[in-house]
Formats: sequence, C-alpha cells, structure tokens
Amino acid sequence: MCVVDIGQRVYAASCVRQVEPGMVVKTSTADVAGVRRTLLELLMADHPTPCQRQQLTHDCELEHLASQAGLTASRYPGLPTPRGHDDSSASIAVDHDSCILCERCIRGCSEIRHNFVLARRGKGYQAGIAFDENLPMGKSTCVSCGECMVSCPTGALVNKKKEIATDLPGTAVPIEELQLLEMFQNVSGTFLSLNSDAVHKRHFKAGEIICREGDYGSTAFYILAGTCEVFLSSPMAHVSTKADQGGFFKRLKSSLTGQAHTREARSERAFIPIDAPVDLPYDNPIAELVAGDLFGEMTCMSFYPRSATVRAKTDCTMLEMLRNVLDILQRNKSFRERVELNYRKRALENHLRSIPLFASLTPEFIDYLRERVELRRYAAGQVLCHEGEHSDSFFLVRLGFVKVSQSHPGGDLVLGYIGRSGFLGEIGLLGAGMYTATCTALDHVEAVRIAADDFRVMMEQFPAVKQDLQVVAQQRLAENRARLTTIRTAPIDSFLAQGLMEAQSLLVLDLQRCTRCDQCVRACADAHDGVSRLIREGLRLDKYLIATSCRQCKDPLCMVGCPVGSIRRKNSLEMVIEDWCIGCGMCASNCPYGNINMHPFQVQVEDLSRPGRKIAKVQSKATACNLCLDYDEPSCVYACPHDAAHRVNPSQFFAYLARQSDTTLKKGE
Amino acid sequence: MLIDSTHRVWIAVTMVALGLGLVVYIPYALVAVQGPRGGSAMGIVYGSMGSALMLFAGLLGARKKFPVWRVGRATSWMRGHLWLGLLSFPFILFHSGFSLGAAPLTRTLMVLFIFVIVSGIVGAMLQHFLPRVITTRVPMETVYEQIDHVCAQLATEATDAVTELLSALEGDLEHANPQQRAEAASAGTMGGVTFASAIGVDEPFAATLHSFFDDEIKPYLVQHSGRGRVLADKERASAMFQQFRILCPEDSWPRLKDLENICEEKRELDRQRVLHRLLHGWLLVHIPASYALLLLGAVHAVIALRY
Repeated sequence: MCVVDIGQRVYAASCVRQVEPGMVVKTSTADVAGVRRTLLELLMADHPTPCQRQQLTHDCELEHLASQAGLTASRYPGLPTPRGHDDSSASIAVDHDSCILCERCIRGCSEIRHNFVLARRGKGYQAGIAFDENLPMGKSTCVSCGECMVSCPTGALVNKKKEIATDLPGTAVPIEELQLLEMFQNVSGTFLSLNSDAVHKRHFKAGEIICREGDYGSTAFYILAGTCEVFLSSPMAHVSTKADQGGFFKRLKSSLTGQAHTREARSERAFIPIDAPVDLPYDNPIAELVAGDLFGEMTCMSFYPRSATVRAKTDCTMLEMLRNVLDILQRNKSFRERVELNYRKRALENHLRSIPLFASLTPEFIDYLRERVELRRYAAGQVLCHEGEHSDSFFLVRLGFVKVSQSHPGGDLVLGYIGRSGFLGEIGLLGAGMYTATCTALDHVEAVRIAADDFRVMMEQFPAVKQDLQVVAQQRLAENRARLTTIRTAPIDSFLAQGLMEAQSLLVLDLQRCTRCDQCVRACADAHDGVSRLIREGLRLDKYLIATSCRQCKDPLCMVGCPVGSIRRKNSLEMVIEDWCIGCGMCASNCPYGNINMHPFQVQVEDLSRPGRKIAKVQSKATACNLCLDYDEPSCVYACPHDAAHRVNPSQFFAYLARQSDTTLKKGE
Repeated sequence: MLIDSTHRVWIAVTMVALGLGLVVYIPYALVAVQGPRGGSAMGIVYGSMGSALMLFAGLLGARKKFPVWRVGRATSWMRGHLWLGLLSFPFILFHSGFSLGAAPLTRTLMVLFIFVIVSGIVGAMLQHFLPRVITTRVPMETVYEQIDHVCAQLATEATDAVTELLSALEGDLEHANPQQRAEAASAGTMGGVTFASAIGVDEPFAATLHSFFDDEIKPYLVQHSGRGRVLADKERASAMFQQFRILCPEDSWPRLKDLENICEEKRELDRQRVLHRLLHGWLLVHIPASYALLLLGAVHAVIALRY
C-alpha cells in the first residue's frame, strides 16, 4: 500500500507523488497504518475471499497483505451486484469480482507487451477491465501472452491450469518448492503454475559437463549448491597470421628457433568476456562459478551460442530455466538486487580490469565504485541514451550488444556496435556535455551505469585513464566525421546499388590487368595457415572486381552476437577474429556479404568426459581478412605480380571512378 | 598484366643497360683479332651478365612459391623478369658475337634461348591483351577451376526449368509454380478454358521441346566444350529459341528466356575456358624451356670454362 504522510492536508500515494526539496515523508506512523488498514478493508470488501489465486497457489497479494494486517473480514458491505466471470479464453480465466482495479494488467498488456488489448470500462461498482471494446476475452484480439495474468496481484486473472510442456532434462520443480526459494519469492504463483515445467532441477556429479561452448541452447542455469568451473576448451591461435613483421631474415630465424607467437603478443586484452558473471583470464581461461551465480543469460534471452564450457567441480545442484522464467525473474526486484549484489561483489572488478583502459584503477577506487554503480537492464529496442540529451552517465556494457547511431537528414547513420566490455558515454562527459549519439539495445542488454559525478572523480584521480579515454573519444569522433564525409562525397547510387555503403576497405582487382593467376589467393592462404580468406569472385563495377573478402564494414553486423567477443575492431578499421573464437559460426551467418568463412580443422583436445585424456576433434574457427595486420600491406596486394590487386578506400575509389567517368563523357562531347 | 606507362622506369633501365652494352661491344668487336667470341674476356663478361639476368628472370618462379615473403613486391619482380629477361638476350648475343655457335650444345642453347624469349614475348602480349578480352567478352566469368561445377549447376537449373515448363504445358500442375497454379485456378472461370487445358492442347509442341532439351540443351550443358553443337553458336541458338517462343504460350516465355540465358552463360564459360587456356597455356612451353635453358646454360658454362 503506497499511502504515505507528507505533512499535507491529505495523505499521498507514494507511487505517483514526486519528491520535492524539503519534503518530509513518513511511511510508518500509526495514522498511516490505520489508513492503510481501512483501505485494505475497503478493497477486501469487494474481493471474494479466498479468491481463485489464493485457492490455487496461495499467493494472492491482497489477501497476503490483509493477513499481515490481521484482517479476517471486512466491516464494509461487498459489491451490490457481481461483475461476473469470463471463461471465454482457452488459457486465462477472468474473475471481474476479484479485480481491485490496480491496472497492472493494463500496463503489462500495453507497456511491456505492446498488445494494447486491455483497458478500463464502466463507472462506479461496474468499473472493471475490458478486452478491446468490452468483448469476451476469447473473442478479443488477445494473444494469450499471459502478461496480464502474471501481473495480476489477485485472482482476477488466473491460469486455466494449462501447463506449458517442455522437454528439459532433470525433474520439474513443484511450485511450493520454487516459492520457498528466495529468488522466486515475489514471482506470481499464477505464472509459476503456468510455467511449472519450465524450471527443472538438475544434479551434476563432479566432473560432469553442464554445457559446452558453441552449442546452441535456450536455457540459463542458476547454481543452488556446489561449484563449477567455466573454461574455454577451444585451442587458441590456430587461424592466425603466421609471420611476424621484420622481413625474411627474422622469419627464417623464427622458423629455425621454433619461435611462436605468444598470446600476449596477439592481443592487448587481459580477459575474455563470456556469458557468466565472471570473465576468463586470457592466459588461463578458466574461472569458478559458485552457488548463487546465474550463467547462460545471453543464450537464454537472445539464443546466442554458449560462450564457454561449464563443468561441475564438485557435486552441483542447479536450476535450469527457460527464457520466460528468466525474463520474469529479471523483472523481479529482489532477484535483480541479488544478482546485482553478486555482480558488485565478484564481477565488477574483473569487468573493469578486462577493459585495458581501466586496468590502472586501484582496488580502493573499485571498492568506491562498487557501492555506487548501478546495473541496468534494457530490452531489445530500448534506448540507453538519446543523442542531444544532457550527458549524465557513463556505461560499461556487461551483456548484449548496443547499436550506436546518429540522426542525419535522410535517416540514421549506424556508427558501430558495442558489445561486452565496450563502453559509451565518454565523449559527452569529457567535454561535449551531451550525448553525441543514440545508443539502443539490440538484444537483452545489461550495462553498468557510472554516474557523471563518479566518473569525474575517476577522471580526477586517474589522469592516465582520463588521457586514454580522451584518445578513444577523439578517435571515435574522427571516425564518425570520416563516415559522414564518406556518405556525403561518395556517388551514392553506386554505393547503394552494390551494398558498398558500409565498406571501409575493399579488395579491388583491376580485371584488365589481372591474368587470373590466383597469386593473391595463394598469398592469402600462405599468410593464414593455408586457409584463404578471399575468393576471387564477387561484384563487378566497370573493369573492377570487388573480391569476396572482408570489407571492414562501418556497420559490422558480424560483431553482433559473438558470444565471446572474439570478433572486434582494434581501434582501427580492420576486423579481427581473436584466437579465442569458439567456432559457433554466428559471425559467418551474420555477415550479409558471405565474407566470413568457417574453417574446420582437427585438433587434440582434452576429453571432457575422461579428464587427463585427449581426443581428436574437428574444431571450427571463423576466418576473415584482417588486412594482414602483422604486415605493412595485405599479402594479396603485395603478391600480385600484375599490379591488379589493390585495397582501396571506397569513398576515394568511387570518387576517382566518378571523375574518370566525367572526363570520358566530356571527351566524348 | 598491362604493359603501360608504369613500366617506364624498367624500360629506361633496360635501354640504358643495352646502350652501355652496345657502346662497349662495338669497339670490342672491331678490335678483336678473331672477332667477338664467347671465350674471350669480354665474351665471358657478357656471358656472365647475360646468365645473371637469365637467372634473375628464372627466380620469379621461386618468388611466386613464397608469395608472403617480404623480398620485394611481386609487381617489381614481374617487371624485372620481363625487362631484364629481355635484356639478357642482347647480352648473350654480345657474348656469342651474334653467332649461333658451332658446337651442338651452343647451337641448341641458342635455339632454346630464342624459343624462350619468343615464347615469353608471346606470353607477355597475350597477358597484355587477353585480360581485357575476357573482361569484356565474359561478363559472367567465374573462377576457372569452378567452371565444371558451375556447368553442372546450370544443367540442373535447366532440367528444373524444362520440367516445370513441360509440366505446365502438359497440363500437369504438380510441378508448376504458384503463379501458374493461381492462373490455372482463376482461368477456370474464363470461358470454361483452364490454364492447363489452354496450353496442354499442343502435345506435339511439348514433345518437340522435350526432345530439344534431351538432344541439344542437356548434352550441350554437360559436354566439356560445346564445340560443334548448335547452341554453341549464339545466333543459331537465338533463332531456335525464337521459334519456340512463337509456338509456345506467352506465359511460358520467361522460362524459355531462363533456358536461353543458361545456354548463354554456358557459352561464356566455354569462351572463358578457351581464353584462360590461351592466357596460361604458353607457360607450359615457356617454363620447361626456361628450366632447360638454365640447366644447359650451366652445363655450357662448366664445359666452356673447364675445357
């Protein structure tokens, strides 16, 4: 009951009353308690006791409040005429008499599900909820999503006992047992009864595999008891550029001494992001998950492949749940608080340290942040910050992908995607004063919000971090300007016609020079462990062939969905697939131009079912052109004997083509 | 490979070196008592320089074997191969005093050398002109190694197209596309004539098309090279398809056009195959002859210097 005393003539409803400076709010005085009791009595007078929900799942919120207040019967008379029942829906029973007109169902239907079926009807005693134009529920446009039923605090909307059958392994957990668990305590019993088969309890013996990296799944796991190990079993650095820069002699020396790349040399990242509360150290990609940890959220919410293998370290008991259950849990305030607390305690430090820019933060400052950061959740399509709004937050992306776009005449320009361990909001806080782009959640996103004041404290205390962030901000601004210039100067027709608008670097073959000797393909294969990353086929423009090779898109759709963040940019235009790729193929299927290939190869890996033994396994790795970043020039271009292969900047190249075409036309005239 | 203005530096270097060689050669040839000979000091110098140039030209093959090695851009190596390889010829002529030689080995060497140089020039010319020809005459060019695979795909596509066309023509809507089905359904109300019966009446035509596919289209698409087939000739093929269009209901024209396009693509692929072979075929004689030349050159050097 939201009634509170704010020292005015009448009590106020705290759910809608805005806080004002100097306002004194009393929430628990004898008078307030008395008013609440009267309100409860009035509500209970209209409410048939026990209602259907109380009978079925014993969790009618109104009756629970009444019993807490010691109310057994109301002093007031009930409804003079009943408002009736509606059994027309196959899945949901409507008891208008139990409705207390809280409008939660209407908000759930409109604001959460955007179905806009429910509304208010009638006046006085006949006031109630209505479906469409007061039609029976079964004849309305209701899609039976169940949101109203889940939101309803009483027995006005209840499940007609149709359980959703699933094929989860393990044993279904009875509602009574679920309701005893802290995480499910505030979850609607109606929802649990409907989804009683969507949460299964599973027991794993020590050493047993719980899930494997790269597998597609639809469930998340919550550890009730025991400890698990989470690790990457995919071998690293298998599809990488072989040679170091330094020429023939260094190459020869490296070959003779068997010198190999160290992992540190391949990446500046200290941690690999995975779909769990912890990140994996790059040098030893293994970590522990303990009771109270939830993992597999991205797989469950957005159907991404599993990002790591999880094995029981001790005998474990866990709950495996489907998306609808996790979704409802994440909307549950107490569960969110619990997960957030867990994150603050265990993962925040790792998360910050996984971002090279923040590696220099002291433990004391991280402790300071621990109490102050806010973990926010965003559904797909929800906006984190709007372009032009006053900048008041810095965000670190913990889960999911965020689209960064700017509004321009003619439409939005996508500036990039930010995945796990990415950050945003620094440009506004470091000077612009407002957000320079709109950031929108592409899927289920969780972001850590650092308030502007805390961000400024961090900048004052750690000048090195500030300096690095300023460099990143400058880079991002420069890239954005370059993109905008590209769009304004390029011959748009050609760009749009061939989908080259998004490219930043094209491998172009001059077909009048090319003798089709395939030296470019051979060189590419030679540079990348025998796996060519280009196909000498593709779009044709005039005498040029745009070869099938990564275009380093401005809008790199391939990055969206990588469960371990292995495909990314390295502060420049080239896309890099890091060696911790687990071979799930998400990037290859996301690339609209077919420029990412999955390359299978055989490796010896640890037999997860028999620790200590190794087995042969066919493992895939994604491969895409990385512009031979170990060299000054891409190998395909360097090895072309006929000066036919060129890596070009599309805007300059198309502008050159357009100029040439103009010149030819003028000569013709 | 285009031999254009970007080759200027190499051409200039070659001409200067040739000029210098000639400037030295003329007085040497005039004052030599027995005339210019390979065994003389100057002859050996010219021979060594010519051999060095030949050897450098021959190293292009090794350079291509290791395309990633950063030992100079492949373009520079190719231009060096072209111009310095060409330069080796006058130097060897200076070495031999413009004689083919008396001994069988030297004579063979010279003949072989001329053959290598001529085949190289022919190759350079082919690689200068043919890429442009391929670009303009084979718009649907594919990777050479994939041609057979693409042809097999074309045959499958053609089979599907003909099956659909014949099914519709024979009134069997089982294989007809949704549009044809819809038209058939709606046509039933138009004067009592259904789509199927409207086009299925001309059974001899369907049989003709069937046999045309079996006897001409399919063998042409499957055959490695379509030489000798009616469909290999664009004009005759076009005339044949035009005949079918006249006989066939208008609804079927798009399918006929598909078939015609498939045959056109096959013609282009055959053309690509021929041009590609021409573009690279000369290497089959140039490379072995070059290796033989280098080998015999080494034997000649050892024998000449030793004896």
